[in-house]
Amino acid sequence: MDPLIGALVGAPLLGAGILLVGGRRLDRTGHWIGCLWAAVSFVIGVVLFADLLSRSPAQRTLTSHLFTWVPVAGFQADVGFQLDQLSMTFVLLITGVGTLIHIYSVGYMEHDENRRKFFGYLNLFLAAMLLLVLADNYLLLYVGWEGVGLASYLLIGFWQHKPSAATAAKKAFLVNRVGDMGLSIAIMVMFTTFGSFAFRPVFAHVGDVSQGRLTTIGLLLLLAACGKSAQVPLQSWLGDAMEGPTPVSALIHAATMVTAGVYLVVRSGAIFNAAPTAQLAVCVVGAVTLVFGAIVGCAKDDIKKALAGSTMSQIGYMMLAAGLGPIGYVFAIMHLVTHGFFKAGLFLGAGSVMHGMNDEVDMRRFGALRTYMPVTFVTFGLGYLAIIGFPGLSGYWSKDKIIEAAFAKGGTEGWTLGAVALVGAGITAFYMTRVMLMTFFGDKRWQPDAEGHEPHPHESPKIMTIPMSILAFGSVFAGGLFSINSAFLKWLQPVTGHSDGHSPVATWEITVATLVVLILGVGLAWQSYGRQAVPAVAPRGSLLTRAARRDLLQDDFNHVVLVRGGEHLTRSLVYLDHTVVDGAVNGTAAGVGGLSGRLRRLQNGFVRSYAVSMLGGTAVLVAATLLMRGV
Amino acid sequence: MSATAAAVHSLWTTRALADTAATPAIPTPHIEYAQLSPVLIVFGAAVLGVLIEAFAPRAARYAGQLAVSVVGLAAAFAALVALAADGYAQGRSHVAAMGAVAVDGPALFLQGTIVLIALVATFTFAERRLDPVAHGNRVDSFAAQGSAVPGGEQEQKAVRAGFTTTEVFPLLLFAVAGMMIFPAADDLLTLFVSLEVFSLPLYLLCALARRRRLMSQEASVKYFLLGAFSSAILLFGIALLYGYAGTVSYGGIADVVDGTAKLTPALANTTGNDALLLIGGAMVVMGLLFKVAAVPFHMWTPDVYQGAPTPVTGFMAAAVKVAAFGALLRLLYVVLPGMRWDWRPVMWGVAIVTMVVGAIIAVTQTDVKRLLAYSSIAHAGFLLTGVIAVSPSGVSSVLFYLVAYSFVTLGGFAVVTLVRDAGGEATHLSKWAGLGRRSPLLAAVFAVFLLSFAGIPLTAGFSGKFAVFKAAAQGGAVPLVVVGVISSAIAAFFYIRVIVMMFFQEPQPQGPTVAIPSPLTSTAIALGVAVTLVLGVAPQYFLDLAGKAGVFVR
Amino acid sequence: MTTSTGEAIQFWVLGIVAVLGALGTVGMRKAVHSALCLAGTMIVLAVFYLAQGAYFLGIVQIVVYTGAVMMLFLFVVMLVGITAADSLKETIRGQRAAAVLCGIGFGILLIAGIANASLHRFTGLAQANAGGNVEGLARLVFTTYVWAFEITGALLITAAVGAMVLTHRERTERPATQREQSEARVREGRNVTPLPAPGVFARHNAVDVPGLLPDGTPSELTVNQTLRARGQVRDVGGEQERRVRKLEQRSDEYVEGVTEGEGAPEGGRDRSGDNDGANHAEGAAK
Repeated sequence: MDPLIGALVGAPLLGAGILLVGGRRLDRTGHWIGCLWAAVSFVIGVVLFADLLSRSPAQRTLTSHLFTWVPVAGFQADVGFQLDQLSMTFVLLITGVGTLIHIYSVGYMEHDENRRKFFGYLNLFLAAMLLLVLADNYLLLYVGWEGVGLASYLLIGFWQHKPSAATAAKKAFLVNRVGDMGLSIAIMVMFTTFGSFAFRPVFAHVGDVSQGRLTTIGLLLLLAACGKSAQVPLQSWLGDAMEGPTPVSALIHAATMVTAGVYLVVRSGAIFNAAPTAQLAVCVVGAVTLVFGAIVGCAKDDIKKALAGSTMSQIGYMMLAAGLGPIGYVFAIMHLVTHGFFKAGLFLGAGSVMHGMNDEVDMRRFGALRTYMPVTFVTFGLGYLAIIGFPGLSGYWSKDKIIEAAFAKGGTEGWTLGAVALVGAGITAFYMTRVMLMTFFGDKRWQPDAEGHEPHPHESPKIMTIPMSILAFGSVFAGGLFSINSAFLKWLQPVTGHSDGHSPVATWEITVATLVVLILGVGLAWQSYGRQAVPAVAPRGSLLTRAARRDLLQDDFNHVVLVRGGEHLTRSLVYLDHTVVDGAVNGTAAGVGGLSGRLRRLQNGFVRSYAVSMLGGTAVLVAATLLMRGV
Repeated sequence: MSATAAAVHSLWTTRALADTAATPAIPTPHIEYAQLSPVLIVFGAAVLGVLIEAFAPRAARYAGQLAVSVVGLAAAFAALVALAADGYAQGRSHVAAMGAVAVDGPALFLQGTIVLIALVATFTFAERRLDPVAHGNRVDSFAAQGSAVPGGEQEQKAVRAGFTTTEVFPLLLFAVAGMMIFPAADDLLTLFVSLEVFSLPLYLLCALARRRRLMSQEASVKYFLLGAFSSAILLFGIALLYGYAGTVSYGGIADVVDGTAKLTPALANTTGNDALLLIGGAMVVMGLLFKVAAVPFHMWTPDVYQGAPTPVTGFMAAAVKVAAFGALLRLLYVVLPGMRWDWRPVMWGVAIVTMVVGAIIAVTQTDVKRLLAYSSIAHAGFLLTGVIAVSPSGVSSVLFYLVAYSFVTLGGFAVVTLVRDAGGEATHLSKWAGLGRRSPLLAAVFAVFLLSFAGIPLTAGFSGKFAVFKAAAQGGAVPLVVVGVISSAIAAFFYIRVIVMMFFQEPQPQGPTVAIPSPLTSTAIALGVAVTLVLGVAPQYFLDLAGKAGVFVR
Repeated sequence: MTTSTGEAIQFWVLGIVAVLGALGTVGMRKAVHSALCLAGTMIVLAVFYLAQGAYFLGIVQIVVYTGAVMMLFLFVVMLVGITAADSLKETIRGQRAAAVLCGIGFGILLIAGIANASLHRFTGLAQANAGGNVEGLARLVFTTYVWAFEITGALLITAAVGAMVLTHRERTERPATQREQSEARVREGRNVTPLPAPGVFARHNAVDVPGLLPDGTPSELTVNQTLRARGQVRDVGGEQERRVRKLEQRSDEYVEGVTEGEGAPEGGRDRSGDNDGANHAEGAAK
């Protein structure tokens, strides 16, 4: 079975290789090749899953050591895979949702002339993401981490002819660099502390290390997670990342890549468990982002950006859960999986809407689409119900558990976090209802686009609606299936550990509270957007709304504090650089160049000159040898 | 005194018949044919090639030569593998052919490398799809007729008649055979003869370029003259070493150096003069340094690399370096380890000058082939740092580096053959500007090679440099490593400059085109990429292999 | 064993000759002189070998190097043109000084080093030559060094192949038959007969001296094509021309004396005069 783990990563990598090297001759079949390799990867994943299930829970960790890269005394860089229940969960999510989105993209990207390249990048992303979750050490994980960053960069900027897409790609790349820096420093610190960066030895020796070190590592890992998972304060790139094609938003910026931060925290659970300060920081970041994203989601009129805010917020939930320690790890991952289903479904629905509406994204120009796009409406609606936590659907099972776990943390922290999570659930209900109402209900508010084409909303082709339906199915039933007999909990427990905590509030009380908040949120939204007509031009709105429209001024903050401050810093540095460093560097370069030119003149092309230099060289060689002996 | 008298008298007198009859018969020499089979197979293939030239009709020669070369080299490689599997690389290694040839780990490893290089080089030699079809004949990189005056009437006639110089294949095989003996030579005489055996075909091959023939002939003459000069010095050194030790066998000299030799009574009074040892040793080393292109014996390299037909350049750059470094290792590790305190500081100097000068001069080069030539000089310096370590890891790191370097070099020069304009290969760097736009795949492949030369992690070049620098540092040569890293940085500058040029500059309007190669050249390039990546990503297996092969027999 | 006085004298005398020969090889302007100097050095070396007891080597040195190799050199030099001389003017600045400096430095190093090696006594010659010099050599060549000896064969094959590759010109088309050649000559109308063989009009037995036509003009056709292409046809000029002119003058006077006032045949003399001038101009141009 072990070589199959490598094949899991290898299949999409091979696909990417074929597609990117194959050139134009693959233009006509490229998309199917991409789908094929994604599907192959999924099938391998299922086979491995079956294999894991057939083993006893304690033996469900497969490892596959490939080779050792650069072995030096004291520095062992192994390339090896580790497949356990946590990785397996991710593998199934990534390959499953990935395959569906590949198939969806066949339809969505039908008229794009670079479709082959798109599928190449998608396959590349799958390979990198699988590498990330299958690595058995932090260094290899880092390789995957950078790989998904690269794929994300390429795909956000896929329509690079649009300046906004190019800028967004650049922004995502830069912001992610900050997080990546955290991860690389964390790995270095880890190495100096533990003398290794493989999971097993590091986790085994957590107990031998000082609290301070562990907190440092934990905070650096959190920084990395913030970058990748768009958590405050590194969240600003996700909204802009919606410039990429919608399948990309669904796969990378909703279902899989952005959850890598959660994976990192859960995977490093042993470290966080031993560093409560870092753990608390994770909780705080999660809680802040949860509210932050939700507020942003309330104000956006761009359907994809509203969903992006929602993604941020939902990942905030996961982070919050992951920060709770063993109480929350399982639920973080469970929410991650159900979120993968319904958010991917929602994005694909949004894509389907855009597909039918001449790529219009402003919800104020939608309305009444439910009759024109029945399938989209139904699947989107099921996703909607799932995300707001409608009882019985996926979101309900996972989100409620997180809120419970937050309360179960105990003490003031528990109350605060629980309250925030609860409020967040209400806001979620509000903004998702808003999206739903503005898009599918109310009056038609369609307007011709810039070239005067009147949109003719229509249902998307089968190849797009079938993946959407499957995802909708998952949105509805996944949570319930996981919760039957606590199946998911039992599955993951051997890896992440679990404790129930002692909730000061009874489970039913939380359920009721959640439902109340939910109804409040939906009702408020109905009040604002269902009963009144939605104005086609956004009203000025309150201060908070305006701020939320501008992503709660995060870019302004970045601009004033980081960019301006940075500019001043850079200007002084540039001055220093020009005068001192450049002087030295250019001097060296000029010196090398000048020396080179002079030495080159010795090479005059005449054999007799060469012979003299050889003779002289021999004489020096002999003389030096003699001198060494002092003869 | 009476002995002199007898000796002088025997000038004009002869012994009585009875005495002559008493002269004992010369015993039959014992030659282990099985253990020498790899070399013998290559020699056999070469002779067969010459016979094909003599008797086969022109039309059949190309296919015949190619088949003979490929089969011969493959068979030689198989024989090498069989020998290694038989344990000759480790436990059973010994000295064969009356003490002339060592059959041991380094020898088999290097011979295997050389044979594989030659196999790939054969592919590039046989490439016939790059030049446009001339008068209905596909042509390769070699002159239609070596004897025709460049640009003369005879040359045009030869081109029209579709002549090709298929003699290059047997010449290549002869060179390969010589190179296989060179690192395995276990006495100085064999060392010298094998040096000539592989040099002579190379001189000839250099002169046979199809385009720019005058330059090619000039390169050949230069290489020949300077090669002869260095051979002369090497031979002088051999004579002095013989004068010192009274023997030319490696083990014998080493024993005298160590002072453990049983002195031949005849030479008892004259052996052991250290001045002879030092001067002779230095001169023999000089002969080898010439072949590896170490500064200040490097002057031939750029001119010859530039003038020679590019497939030959690739072969030379890769295989000569392997053979010569193998011989240098054996000489320094088997013959002269006893005087390492004498030669190590000197080699320090040579290594430093080689790395620095190679890297610095490369900065201002404007021709791709010259650039690669200077880069090969700098690489010789890096390799020398590994040689200087005088430790098992020194041997294995140099062996590993040689494998990594040689296949990348072959691939690099194969790429150079593909970029062409009306005048043949477009080697001027300015013409390579914007190549990344025109032919991204080729430019990317070349970039991989350049990155490997520069020693960027995850490429073979990095693993190799890492290995030699590690060995050098463990051997106490930390300053050398520092210089090595600095020159790597300088070298990285011009490699990266080429990459930047290819990808970030506008293509020239009348830029070169990229020829579509046949599978032959594609194989060479693909192999180069594969080796670069495999040795860069997973070097461990090969490091182990080189480590296992790192013990010399004496 | 030490060096005897006789051997010492022989060494110092011949040593000087050998070194002078070597210097001459490098310093002579004409290739022939260089080659001869080299031959001299080689012969001296052969004598050294003989004096050292290396009889086989000494003889081989003479037979192979002086006898065969040097003679081949001379053939080549003669073919290239014995008059060809190289300019000894050095164009690279500092080259000569550097060369001399390096040479002297290296020489001093070797001399100092080897002289320091205190080789005042030497032994072993008797043992080496015990079974006869040639037999001893044979024993080594066919036992200890048999491998080196055998692979030298590869060197020879390479050399032969190389010589063929670099010099042999295979015909690209069928050579014209004698019949076709003669037909072509008739068609052209010039030189209907085959070219004059050497010595047909010869007044001198050197190959670069053209034969003279009956009217005294030199015929370039009689000189080898290679020499003609190289411009190495000897200017007949001077003596020969004068003698022909004198002969004609005498015969003119004789004819005048016999016919007394009848018209003299002017043509021949005029033509010879014209040709003379033209030939000089041509010679100058060459």
